[in-house]
Amino acid sequence: MKFTNRQFGEMEFDEKHIVEFPEGIIGFGEYMKYLIVDDEDSQPIRWLVSLEQSDLSFAMIDPALIIDDYQSSLFKDLDVTIFLLVALKDPLEASTTNLRSPLVIDNATRKGRQIVLDDECLSVRHPLFARQAELVEG
Amino acid sequence: MLILSRKIEEAIIIGDSITIKILGIHDGQVKIGIEAPKEIKVYRSELYDLIQKENVQASKSKKVSISKTAMVLRTANVVQRNSPK
Repeated sequence: MKFTNRQFGEMEFDEKHIVEFPEGIIGFGEYMKYLIVDDEDSQPIRWLVSLEQSDLSFAMIDPALIIDDYQSSLFKDLDVTIFLLVALKDPLEASTTNLRSPLVIDNATRKGRQIVLDDECLSVRHPLFARQAELVEG
Repeated sequence: MLILSRKIEEAIIIGDSITIKILGIHDGQVKIGIEAPKEIKVYRSELYDLIQKENVQASKSKKVSISKTAMVLRTANVVQRNSPK
């Protein structure tokens, strides 16, 4: 199958690689089918690219790079892949990531959902480079 | 918008499966009980709006060369792991 995205160009993929968000992403409820794309230049950022709207993609990151034990403490024993959405800004240092409402993808069914965690301490705008800031300040 | 007045312990029913009950009113705060099927998501509107806004920001993220990001993240992680607690 093929789909052309404005940012990533023509993508060729197998149907089994489609990740489905039956409820959509919050605010984007009408789009359900996505592909996870790795772009070499922008690693470790990964991309959730819509297969229904050629202009739509989301930047995201593996939570392990941001916070130790995020997945193991919140999603213990679940066979899921977790991503945090990332708002890449200019300058890059102003970029943030959303700890409060991660994307949770069931590894067996490849179905995903953006959940909202109850813990009010989890920021929706956590600095992507918080650790670096800690090092500089500390 | 439909506007209804309710007293404590009174409820409204939306459709066949959603019940919203006024549990108490105290110091300008209303305590509301919501019964709805599991597939109906219930959010505080300000949190929903905030998340939606951040999602829009994430969707506006442009593919940039982030080798710099990678380097910074990796360095930060390595240094943190090695630094004494």
